Amino acid sequence: MKLVTEGLLSERGRRRSRRFGAVLVLTVVLFAWLAPWLAPGDPFGQALLKALGPPDAAAPFGYDHLGRSMIQRLGAALRLSLLIAFFAVAAAAIFGVTLGLLAAARGGRLDRVLVLLSDSLLALPGLLLVLILAAVVPDKALAFAAGLALVLWIEFFRLTRATCRGLLTSPGVQASRLLGFGSIYVFRRHLWPEVAPLLLTTAAFGAATAIMTVASLGFVSVGMQAPTPELGLMMVELMPYWREAPLALLQPVFAIFLVLLGLNLMAGGRTI
Amino acid sequence: MTATLIATDIGVYDQRGERLLEPVSLQLEPGRPLVVLGETGSGKSLLSQALIGTLPAGLAASGRVCLGGSHLDAAQPADYRRLWGREVAVLPQEPWLSLDPLMRAQQQVAESHRLVRGLAPRAAISVAGEELEALGLAGALRRYPHQLSGGMAQRVAFAAARAGGARILIADEPTKGLDAARRDEVAALLMREVAAGGSLMVVTHDLALARLLGGEVLVVRRGALVERGDSRAIFEAPRNAYTRRLLAADPRCWQRTPPVPAGGPTVLQARDLGVSRGGRVLVEGLSLRLGAGEILGISGPSGCGKSSLGDALLGLHPPHAGTVVRSVARPQAYQKVFQDPPSAFARTLALGQAIADLVRRQRLDGSRVEPLMQRLRLRPELLARRPGEVSGGELQRLALLRAMLLDPVFLFADEPTSRLDPLTQQEVIGLLRELAGEGCAVMIVSHDPELIARTAHRCIVLDGAGAATVPAPQPRPDSAGAALLR
Amino acid sequence: MTAAVFRLLQALLVALFVGVTTFVMMRSLPGDMAWRIAAHRYGYDLVDADAVRLVREELALGGPALPALLQWLGDMVRLEFGTSLVSGAPVVDEISHQLGASLQLAAVALLLSLLLGPPLGITAGLRPGGSLDRGLLLLSTGLRALPQFLLGLVLILLVSVELGWLPAAGYGTGAHFVLPALTLALGLAALSARIARDATAAVAASPYYAFARQKGLGDSQVFWRHGLRNVSVPLLTCLGLQFVTLVEGVVVVESVFGWPGIGHGLVHAIFGRDVPMVQGTALVMGLAFVLVNALIDAAVRRLDPRGAAG
Repeated sequence: MKLVTEGLLSERGRRRSRRFGAVLVLTVVLFAWLAPWLAPGDPFGQALLKALGPPDAAAPFGYDHLGRSMIQRLGAALRLSLLIAFFAVAAAAIFGVTLGLLAAARGGRLDRVLVLLSDSLLALPGLLLVLILAAVVPDKALAFAAGLALVLWIEFFRLTRATCRGLLTSPGVQASRLLGFGSIYVFRRHLWPEVAPLLLTTAAFGAATAIMTVASLGFVSVGMQAPTPELGLMMVELMPYWREAPLALLQPVFAIFLVLLGLNLMAGGRTI
Repeated sequence: MTATLIATDIGVYDQRGERLLEPVSLQLEPGRPLVVLGETGSGKSLLSQALIGTLPAGLAASGRVCLGGSHLDAAQPADYRRLWGREVAVLPQEPWLSLDPLMRAQQQVAESHRLVRGLAPRAAISVAGEELEALGLAGALRRYPHQLSGGMAQRVAFAAARAGGARILIADEPTKGLDAARRDEVAALLMREVAAGGSLMVVTHDLALARLLGGEVLVVRRGALVERGDSRAIFEAPRNAYTRRLLAADPRCWQRTPPVPAGGPTVLQARDLGVSRGGRVLVEGLSLRLGAGEILGISGPSGCGKSSLGDALLGLHPPHAGTVVRSVARPQAYQKVFQDPPSAFARTLALGQAIADLVRRQRLDGSRVEPLMQRLRLRPELLARRPGEVSGGELQRLALLRAMLLDPVFLFADEPTSRLDPLTQQEVIGLLRELAGEGCAVMIVSHDPELIARTAHRCIVLDGAGAATVPAPQPRPDSAGAALLR
Repeated sequence: MTAAVFRLLQALLVALFVGVTTFVMMRSLPGDMAWRIAAHRYGYDLVDADAVRLVREELALGGPALPALLQWLGDMVRLEFGTSLVSGAPVVDEISHQLGASLQLAAVALLLSLLLGPPLGITAGLRPGGSLDRGLLLLSTGLRALPQFLLGLVLILLVSVELGWLPAAGYGTGAHFVLPALTLALGLAALSARIARDATAAVAASPYYAFARQKGLGDSQVFWRHGLRNVSVPLLTCLGLQFVTLVEGVVVVESVFGWPGIGHGLVHAIFGRDVPMVQGTALVMGLAFVLVNALIDAAVRRLDPRGAAG
């Protein structure tokens, strides 16, 4: 399903909002990987005396309820979420695009089987697939990435198939074949330039879904387990201390909001 | 006679205030059609849109319009709204897309009677039914638009447009994409309105339609009026040079293609060919032989299998019976030119790159490109652009260039000019003739019988049910089957 | 392939998929599954080697994978999900009990979101680029960046903790409905508003919409006669596909607010490795999607004659 905000923003406005989204995401990524250099310490080191303490030189973002440095925990949590999202989206894109191309080019029975398969998978809530995989695979992060890839490939598949199916029967491709060009040329010059920009928005949207899912599961206590720093888990841990240390709770909230806003802007007004 | 619409100094401007249409004044009179004739981008549609307040957002009009007792300022399009349907009826360009897909034909006409003219619901339904029956649509009252043919949709839209009681009918390109028979139908429909005392204004690039309608003609070019006058006078003795060229571009004024010298080598031969698409048999038992330099015309109603036949001869679409022999071993010697030029190129690829790719792939002599460009009157700067940034005529010539680089012996031209203006059409067909003169066999599909008659050496008419017939019975000695004519 | 056959195949495939994954889940769990099931069935004190052996044989737990899988799928097809490993009650009873609570919540939220989303979206879509349209885009972009659990968290902190107006969690009275239903509804409304907006903008820009106006009909006549029906077709189809979003929202929102529904149950079942409950719940969710979309197919066919022909 592709719904693009048309007419509302000019082409320039859309490009600008996309660029702004990319800048937001890049800022968060930079922060996540630079956090260990910005301040010393590790995300697990407890200092109970400083529990919920205000920022100081050693911990510029303050301390959590166990006296752990918030900047380190936030950085580690963002790295985890971003890595899971990256691997899930990359795997989903590779599978989805390949199968989508295959379905569009071959057609026939293979196409029908793949469509039925993807439509059936679509009927199951993504959360459920991720949860079941997480219960089976011992490594949670791996399980999340695999489960999310299992959910996200469908959109890549549908999009690639729909785009390429029309293109492959178009006069342009027919003309190229008559002129003696092969399949690789058709892919490079006709299919890829049309599919690639769609992949970018789908990837941004998929990454947002992945980050949201991991945090949601952490928040309802079936995701990453303590003491792993994870955004949803951090929020649920810090919630009881809302009155004493509102800033500590707001940090992961703000971080996830920024990253999701950035990704959604990059996805350019897509709804689904 | 009293004018029903008097427009004075109607001009159109874009957002930056640049003038797109020089001020034009005109009058509509009952019983006398007014035809605005011009090519794509000439500003002829802007004129009709400015007259009735339907200019696209961002464009502004100037001038005064006196219509049905109201004096209107063309700069205030909102004032026109209350006249729509009541004073002015607008016949839509694409009737099939202009009818609500979820509403039955009769309802779409009846709602104008009820809501615009103010008839009681039951009376509106019965009047709508009578009108549609009078238009020969008795069986289509309860059909939805997708169950109507293009011509039927045109008539439903006609009834719906004027059900509100308007006596001024404005039609913008009413024959777009229609074949000759349906074009005549539309002309008859419009003339009925004129005969009944209505006023009619038609905007078109279709010379045949303009000729059929008669009345007054305004010729527009590049946003300015170049000539106006009585239709017969203009068609018989155009004063303006552009008008002369435009009228001469009508296929009925063309010279016939000189006959092809006999004895040329056979480039393509089909025996007992059967072609079907989607399980429907379109052509059955067709045999033909095409010699070098020959132009074969294919005509028939839309959907009769003209394109499928050509694709089958090219090997793009497998025939269900018979054989096709392409005598020249080099597969790239068999080429095709498409109906919609922009769709025949990769959308995001610069045209120069597409040509360069071809030169590299087929190891061609790249220095041949430039002289060919000159011959086809293509400016070099076009090569830096993408297909969407080039006009249809230029793009079609580029498609020809692409094919010509491969020294084709057979070219299938599938409605190559149906989306082009008359002058561009004449130019492209002229190039096809030149190509044939150099020994390439050309098979041309068109819905315009005049064009086929003057371009092709012989013609196959398909009826879409398997039969392929030839208009003049005089089979060539070398042809197998009666489907071929000289 | 007709729509009905497609939906039937889809339902079968969903069931197969749920069956296989839960089977894999059961087989891969640490510890002796048969012992755990036996313990739940007969009570921890009464479990002995014989009971464990009986369970193992009945479910073919020890044997080769394929017959065991077939046995497992066969049980599922006969709707014999067994009993919950946590509560010991039959899975069917547990689920039908939870489903009631979930349906209440989902119905209230869905109603609320339909009152908010489509009307706003349609109004915005009729004037693309207008102030309402821009505002709505800003709002929906913001809401999309606010996952449902976060929205729930914000509402709990503001309305329950700070203002003390409403209970943060629980089930039973009308007051308990407000926060979870609002959380769920806001997310759904943002989504349906966007879909409605795009569908409306497309219809309003269509040639038939322009022609209806040029026939002389007024704006509201054009909208009610030619707009609404044409908007509702893509809107319904899109919303059907988004049923999964509703289910996911239910899972998260129920867990956040401790709502004793099927989503909350699912999270607990997975947490407690309660495979029979996971299987039953997943099957209900997947089949509900197929059912809802089959109903939407039928509704769209009634609305849109084009689908019936093709």
